[in-house]
Amino acid sequence: MNKLILFRMLQEEVRLNTSFASGKGFFSFPILVLISGFLAVYFTEEMVKDMGYYEYLQILHISAIFYGMFAGSLAFFGNEFLERIFGYFGLIIGLTATQPITQRRITFLYFFKEIIFYTLFTMIPALAGALFGSFYTHIELNNLIIFSFTLFISFCTGIAFSFYISSLYRKSQKYAIFGALIFVAIYSIIFYEYEISGTLEWYVNNNYNFLYLGLSIPIILSFFATVMIQEHNNESVITIVGYKNRFNEYCAKYSWAKRICLPEIIAKERIDLERSKTGTKMFFSFLFPLGFLTFMNWFLDKGLPIQIDFNTIFYGVMIGFFGTMLYSWLNSIDTPHFYSSLPIQVSDIIKARLFLFGTITWWIPLIFMTLISYLSNELRLLPIGLIVMTTVGIYIVNYTALSTGLKTNSALFDAFVFIKFFLISVPPMIAMTILSLAINHKPSTILVALSVICGILALFSMIFYKRIDLKWKNETFD
Amino acid sequence: MPVINCTNLSKEYDDVEALKNVNLEINEGEFFGLLGPNGAGKTTLLKILTCQLQPSMGNAEVFGLGVNENYSEVKKKISIVPEQESPPSFLTPREVLELVTSIRGIENNEIDHWIKFFELEEMEGRVCRNLSRGQRQKVMLAAAFISKTKLMFLDEPFINLDPLVQTKVRNWLKEYVKKGGTVFINTHLLENAERLCDKAAIIHQGKIQSLITLKDLRKQNLTLEKLFHEIVT
Repeated sequence: MNKLILFRMLQEEVRLNTSFASGKGFFSFPILVLISGFLAVYFTEEMVKDMGYYEYLQILHISAIFYGMFAGSLAFFGNEFLERIFGYFGLIIGLTATQPITQRRITFLYFFKEIIFYTLFTMIPALAGALFGSFYTHIELNNLIIFSFTLFISFCTGIAFSFYISSLYRKSQKYAIFGALIFVAIYSIIFYEYEISGTLEWYVNNNYNFLYLGLSIPIILSFFATVMIQEHNNESVITIVGYKNRFNEYCAKYSWAKRICLPEIIAKERIDLERSKTGTKMFFSFLFPLGFLTFMNWFLDKGLPIQIDFNTIFYGVMIGFFGTMLYSWLNSIDTPHFYSSLPIQVSDIIKARLFLFGTITWWIPLIFMTLISYLSNELRLLPIGLIVMTTVGIYIVNYTALSTGLKTNSALFDAFVFIKFFLISVPPMIAMTILSLAINHKPSTILVALSVICGILALFSMIFYKRIDLKWKNETFD
Repeated sequence: MPVINCTNLSKEYDDVEALKNVNLEINEGEFFGLLGPNGAGKTTLLKILTCQLQPSMGNAEVFGLGVNENYSEVKKKISIVPEQESPPSFLTPREVLELVTSIRGIENNEIDHWIKFFELEEMEGRVCRNLSRGQRQKVMLAAAFISKTKLMFLDEPFINLDPLVQTKVRNWLKEYVKKGGTVFINTHLLENAERLCDKAAIIHQGKIQSLITLKDLRKQNLTLEKLFHEIVT
């Protein structure tokens, strides 16, 4: 029975993804990954020369762990997202309500399915690309395969960690935080004097004890996660009274914006944002990528012979880019289906959400920027960082809105949409990152160059914004 | 005067032909019922007529306006109760009605009346996602009824409603049609269709198999149920 459920879950996952994106778009994604794997190996010798052999291997392992955590959190938040957007979707994981199968078993199978899915659609294509790339380098095929195996175990550690946290989170937020801290503390104590993961320690130093340890960590985490799943933990809290009618109040408040978009829609979306408490989730969703960036910064500083200065302007670029996440959150609060019964268009909703992005969610990036510049003792760079952040944010969010409409999360699963998004977002980010790193060498020249890029991005933002109407006017809410 | 007019309307989803050359005319002041088994194409037709889907071929007009080209205009003139009850999750029933009346520019609105009509007073302060399915369906009906449009599309409106509310809704719809309104209703509940409709069509495998007035049906000593079984089985 387990095999059959697992197989059906995999089928379901593929069908779900192909219903979000086009079939071609979804199945092209592994090709992108294959190309990335090829390039990663093709440039390995250069990277090793610049970074050092051990540091390079460590970075790959750190990335694999974080990728696993990301994939796992996507599964966790993904469920919530699906439930919100497609409340009527019946997924196999919901079978426990009607069939004699335990939540423990179905959740474990679901998580196992996640590992298989990501392995098939990302890890194996990446390995295929890497194998192909190895013909153009001096890397031994044998070594490459063994190292890929160690990376896979790190990926499994990351995804199992997410499983463990999500299962604790079902009990309570406190459990999740406490459990995460305990695991991180134990892990740090064990690996403090060794490589970042057990399998890497084995690969580098041939220490077999660490191979067993590395293999057992994801198994132990999955075991704990599964054991902690309760059978009757889906009791949702129903708030009977307490919500004050605020629609008219917000409508009046935003009446000044009627030339930009409908105040009624802004009011509705604003209420959604408040009552769903998505603001808090938005805030915490910034912590993960910023934590990764900070960790990489610290790691590169420690490992590289030259000093890389990830300053406030660099973080401005990155935080601006994370604006996509804010817009994506705004799109996942509630299903837009009700709007289909009203005389309004998809572009009206997109504009209202862009309006909210600009006026309501700005405090999240602002807090992070101020904090980062204060902690790095760079408050003098804060104004420039904020300008960069705002420009990049507006540019990237306008493009996201134009290209993905109200279905940001799902549309980016389409390889064609993703490639376009990549080509539009990455070049200006690279240019600004390079400039930000050189700010202390020729400040005036760098500032002029940054201003020019900001100007160009602002211009493009306007073009993207104006095209939203054209592209989404006649789309349906389905 | 026809308020709905379909000519050779077809809709294909990849390999599935959901609608095949549908020709249909519904006049002002008619209570029209579209009946059919599951997957017959009822919701597809309703979605095309309410600008939620584009047809693959053919033409559909509502109040003389092509539904593809006049999306905004058509939407202003109609109200819709979709098959799946989906009022905004984080608004209270009153706020939903405020949103609808405000967007439609309805003054002297009757929010209190509709809250009372659907017995939603006790739900004040609750957001829609905390309501039962039946209560959410009531909010959707109230949102359609308050819109004061001359044409109403209802997709399985009675499902989830208790018998008392069903009677109230039926009576209100009858009055609405008497006053000149037009109703296009999709339903499985043949008994309700028999009580309400002036005209009905039975759709099966994407094709309209029969278009009849209920008067003629009664003259022939037939019931909708008999006709339905004859056509579908």
